[in-house]
Amino acid sequence: MKAVWIALTNLRRMFRRRANIFFVFVFPMLLILVLGATFGSAATPRVGVVVARAGQLSDALARQLAHTAGLRIVRVGSVADLMTMVERGSLAAGVEIPAGYDSAIRGGGTAVLRYIARPGTSAQQVGETVRSAAARQAELLGAARFAVARHASASFSAALAKAKAISSAVPRVSVTERTAGTARFGRSLGQFDEGAWTELLLFMFLTAMTGAVALIEIRRLGVPRRMLATPTPPGTVVAGETLGRLLVGLIQALVIIVGSALLFGVHWGDPLGVAAIVLLFGLVAAGFGIFVGTLFRNEQQAMGLSLLLGLGLAALGGCMVPLEVFSPTLKKVAHITPHAWANDAFAKLIGHGATIGAILPQLEVLAAYAAVLLILATWRLRRILVASL
Amino acid sequence: MTERPRGLMRAAVLIAGKDLKARVRDRSALIIGIVVPLALAFIFNGIFSGISGGSKAISLGVVVADHGAAGQSFIASVLAPLRHAGLIAVHTEPTAASARTLVESGSLSAAITVPAGFTEALRAGKPAALGVIESAAAPLTAQIARSIAAAYASDLNRARLSVAAVAAGSPGISRASIARLAAQAAAAAPPLTVRDVSASTKELDNKSFFAAGMAVFFLFFTVQFGVTSLLEERADGTMARLLAAPIPRASILGGKLLTSFALGIVSMLVLVIATSLLFGASWGNPVGVVVLIAAATLSAMGIMALIATFAKNAEQAGNWQAVVAVILGLLGGTFFPVSQAPGILSSLTFAAPQAWFLRGLGDLRAGSLSVIWTPVLALLAFAVVTGGLAMARLNRIAEV
Repeated sequence: MKAVWIALTNLRRMFRRRANIFFVFVFPMLLILVLGATFGSAATPRVGVVVARAGQLSDALARQLAHTAGLRIVRVGSVADLMTMVERGSLAAGVEIPAGYDSAIRGGGTAVLRYIARPGTSAQQVGETVRSAAARQAELLGAARFAVARHASASFSAALAKAKAISSAVPRVSVTERTAGTARFGRSLGQFDEGAWTELLLFMFLTAMTGAVALIEIRRLGVPRRMLATPTPPGTVVAGETLGRLLVGLIQALVIIVGSALLFGVHWGDPLGVAAIVLLFGLVAAGFGIFVGTLFRNEQQAMGLSLLLGLGLAALGGCMVPLEVFSPTLKKVAHITPHAWANDAFAKLIGHGATIGAILPQLEVLAAYAAVLLILATWRLRRILVASL
Repeated sequence: MTERPRGLMRAAVLIAGKDLKARVRDRSALIIGIVVPLALAFIFNGIFSGISGGSKAISLGVVVADHGAAGQSFIASVLAPLRHAGLIAVHTEPTAASARTLVESGSLSAAITVPAGFTEALRAGKPAALGVIESAAAPLTAQIARSIAAAYASDLNRARLSVAAVAAGSPGISRASIARLAAQAAAAAPPLTVRDVSASTKELDNKSFFAAGMAVFFLFFTVQFGVTSLLEERADGTMARLLAAPIPRASILGGKLLTSFALGIVSMLVLVIATSLLFGASWGNPVGVVVLIAAATLSAMGIMALIATFAKNAEQAGNWQAVVAVILGLLGGTFFPVSQAPGILSSLTFAAPQAWFLRGLGDLRAGSLSVIWTPVLALLAFAVVTGGLAMARLNRIAEV
């Protein structure tokens, strides 16, 4: 019972500082929001289009581009703006439909579209989709021009109208697609889903790490010494401190999970599975935070190391870029971190709609981490407490 | 009269010197200003450079079951130029089934099949279809394979429609004439072509982005040591003694500002040199970099000083400064490029000085030195507005 009181006192001390409320609850939510807004729907490349002079044909091409799968078209006012946006990376590429587009094609000439991209293979690859849209647009235009050249039609407009009329009767050469393999996620993720679970892990761990600093602070203030002066065995103090860290992590997780579900519509999947990951990961984080806290005497140094470990391990564990894009070697290295296992579990739960049964292997690894770290942490903390007497 | 300004300066330098010595001794500035940002930039760079990004050639399988000319012409006239451009690597597979297995296992990114009888169907004007086998795990690559096949199909359709458009106007046209028209239509130049224009890049590469992002993020913490120490002096009671000494109040403030400025500039310069040497970050024209760093340091000092004037004590100041520094860091794109986000966020980011600093570095990459004036002026505007407000309020702190 005493351990619970010690834990609750820990909680009160933590949240009395209003800046902590910001870092524990508000900042993670902000980050989920900004991440989702920036990358949540970034799978389709954004391509800017400038129509230098409006015209029937120019507008038709712009519409064709807008309806092409695999491109998200953004209309841009001028070529200079388009160039700058491409250079700065806010657009993947740009297409300029020149001022003489309509007249060149109507006159039987060739119109040249400019595809503006930064050097690099991926932007060139997007260019293939732009080319396919141009080729599609050229089907009728080319037929009309051919008819005019062969004197089958009096004017380009008449020829174009005729080509349109007969096009449905002409058998087409088409492309049929078949899909092989399995998608990264079985169900399509919401804009904020992946950001939410990765940030949850990052911040639970980071908060526990800053708990290391709090541990040094209470030692400096002599809190444990005074607790031990009362008839309280060291084991109770150790249990209380650990429980306090765990509680902070669990409350944080609850707020982030419920908050992101309500505010950003994040779908968290099987509640039992989520609860199991959060509880085990919370134990891992608490154990690690306390263990690190026992290794330092200086708050500044512990703060620096906490930030480093909190952010560094999260990055390595796939909380900043998904593990799927890691190279095979780096992926193996990543699984040194508990984050990677928890990320795998969340990917299964949220990305594939799995239930707790499917993530048992990941939960076992997290449980093993938790056991080892908590044993180490309590052993170290007990030694330090007793030594401080 | 000349004695006074010199004395003013001397006192300020002495106070700054004392503060700097204390910061060096307790290592706090070293840790926050240099060690942590350097280590984080190093870790992020290590992880992100190990990622197999989308900048490689696509390994595209091709299955030609057709015995006619169309399949070979597809390889020679469509795929070969793309291979030369380094966009794709072409692997010929014997059957669609074998290609499918390879796509499933991830050995091929996608495959295009030209079915048996394709050339014959083209000649007879019958419906025909190219096949694309795409990987569910790589939707972007699938899109590109689909586009390559679709562009070729469109070229064939253009020829078909061309023939039909002419033939529709002349009923009873002979088979021989149609065959001749088909050959002419297939050879006709397309009415629109796409020409590649290479844009210069004003984006920082990964290495430089992480180096610059972490450096400017922690700059907002490093400058706190000088400004906030006014509050510490007050709490420790040393402020009263400073004020009792024959030192003008301006010298005390000047000393604290000098401390912040020196800590900011030195830590940034150390980071520039260290990241350049250790992992090859390229910051750009040194003069431009130094000007941007100076302007960014002033803006950070202004904002952090303003927050400090609202705080009761150093601890509270530190808390609120950390909150603001973290929000501005996130918004300013020090962790990931928020300016590339769609929508309102891409403008909102410029409410943070960090965004101007990073934009300045990005522009510097592609342009001459003159391009940094806009970001530098924006940074100085932050410094003047927030710093001015802080100065107006600072006298409140510099009391007992």
